[in-house]
Amino acid sequence: MSDQAPATDDRLAAKPVSRTRETIQTLMANRLAVAGLVVLTILVFVGIFGEAIAPYGINDIDIPKRLTGPSSDHWFGTDELGRDVFSRVIVAARVSLQVGFIAVGFALVVGVPIGLISGYYRGGVDSFLMRMMDVLFSFPAILLAIAILAVLGPGVGNAMIAIGLVYTPIFARITRGSVLVVSEEVYIRAARSLGAGDRRIIFRHILPNVMAPIIVQTTLSLAFAILSEAALSFLGLGVQPPNPAWGRMLAEGRNFFEQAPWMGIFPGLAILFTVMSFNFVGDGLRDALDPKQKSVIESRGQSA
Amino acid sequence: MSEPILQVRDLGVRFGTKRGAAEVVNGISYDLHRGETLAIVGESGSGKSVGVLALMGLLAQPPASVSGSVRYHGNELVGLASKKWRGIRGMGIAMIFQDPMTSLNPVRTVGYQLAEPMELHLDLKGGAARQRAVELLDLVGIPSPEARIDDYPHQLSGGMRQRVMIAMGLACDPDVLIADEATTALDVTTQAQITELVAGLQERLGMAVIWITHDLGVVASIADRVHVMYGGRFMEQASVDELYAAPQHPYTEGLLGSLPMPGSDRPDRLVTIPGLPPDPVTMPPGCPFAPRCGYADNTQCTAAMPEMALMAERHEAACYHPIGAGHE
Repeated sequence: MSDQAPATDDRLAAKPVSRTRETIQTLMANRLAVAGLVVLTILVFVGIFGEAIAPYGINDIDIPKRLTGPSSDHWFGTDELGRDVFSRVIVAARVSLQVGFIAVGFALVVGVPIGLISGYYRGGVDSFLMRMMDVLFSFPAILLAIAILAVLGPGVGNAMIAIGLVYTPIFARITRGSVLVVSEEVYIRAARSLGAGDRRIIFRHILPNVMAPIIVQTTLSLAFAILSEAALSFLGLGVQPPNPAWGRMLAEGRNFFEQAPWMGIFPGLAILFTVMSFNFVGDGLRDALDPKQKSVIESRGQSA
Repeated sequence: MSEPILQVRDLGVRFGTKRGAAEVVNGISYDLHRGETLAIVGESGSGKSVGVLALMGLLAQPPASVSGSVRYHGNELVGLASKKWRGIRGMGIAMIFQDPMTSLNPVRTVGYQLAEPMELHLDLKGGAARQRAVELLDLVGIPSPEARIDDYPHQLSGGMRQRVMIAMGLACDPDVLIADEATTALDVTTQAQITELVAGLQERLGMAVIWITHDLGVVASIADRVHVMYGGRFMEQASVDELYAAPQHPYTEGLLGSLPMPGSDRPDRLVTIPGLPPDPVTMPPGCPFAPRCGYADNTQCTAAMPEMALMAERHEAACYHPIGAGHE
């Protein structure tokens, strides 16, 4: 790993080490993050090919076999209509990931530019935008999402918009905070002294420097967005029956918890593993991307 | 003498602070001619950096407010629209900043940052920009520039980074290069290399250079003319030789006295100037140096700022009691 050591002539032959490669190396050294990445890779695969992998159709009703426990035929058991829980958990992965990615994507696309503009121009623009964000931020996340869905009506698409709106102020704030620091850096002034305009400075000089916290927040927000989707579906505001969703399955399983605990346990575990994986990857990325954190780890490594 | 490239007249910078208005730069004037090196010397807080930032239009307004006039090839720069500024910065006037460790963008390669001014002003992109970037790195004395161009700033030493900064400044052949304490953060040997480099390039490219520093030693080796700045004003201005041989202002004398000069017949002890520079918010009405000056009287000096007066040919000082006049 390259460090702050002065480059002397004998280092001239050294290959340039890009920050991206450095980051990946640090990330790969983190076992939890690697485990999280593996789980997420499987999850994305399952999300894409869900119907093809699932042994049964999601709505194949088989009443005589209802509420049977896990077996070689039905790995996760069956529900009150005899539907295969394993198939439903697998197919539900797609909608969870979709809602997560689209909602967080929405929050990124709206929140980051707001943060960039606020942090760079400051003054009245900043106050106006940030107060708007404060209004959104002051509500408890799930409550605000429910309120938005109450206006828009339940459904997957509206759940995405609701979750995206709820997470927008987080991205705006994180971006703004970093932009406030970075835009005071000498290299920003230096770029301006070479004739760069505002747009170039914001997008080519400031944005790459504030990416690290945004990337970390993105992975962590994915976890929370998926959790929020599960909560909304649990309350019946997200994915509508008969389509499976982990939150929905959890809600349905609740009614049969004594007779058929597997109805709730497996979708619950799916949520747990997904959210934990995103969190591990997020933590790993933060360690890899945050130079201050990195120096702590490095110095710890040297003293050990 | 020919028309000056840069004509600064009565440039003032005032910052609004919570405690009141701070007059950080107070009516400085100078001319810069083609190929000339002008040094602005002063302590920390004397307003020398703010003065050039104002000249470059790089101060955020508010809190700063800039008054006076700066003419570049006859065009007024104070109050210029930001669009027009962009064509001048980097193209006509370029600037090197004090700390090479923080003046390069850490997430962009050296090559990218060198190519940026070319893309902005010369419409040079891709291979052509890269080619010129390699030439520039070679020009500023970076060994094996083809290998260095894809490096990130953290892979370079301080001296190397400052060379890259200079290369960036030179990318579009500016008429004026402003070096704001460009060597202060470097060690002495690197300092000497950088000053020689700039002096050499200046001769080859015919640039005018404004060299901002607090180091009179650096000034002696490169500058043609020196302006001594204190409390936001010019105290004395003269050619380098004149200034060192016969300083007129007590402040200049103090600065020179605090400079070690091996082999001179001066006493062994370095002379310090007692006290601190004045607070720009509560600037005294008279000469800003009066509270620290050994020659100051209690009438004239504390009442009003003395005018700049001719002491010798092209040698001016703003003092009621210039040294040449003799003191009892």
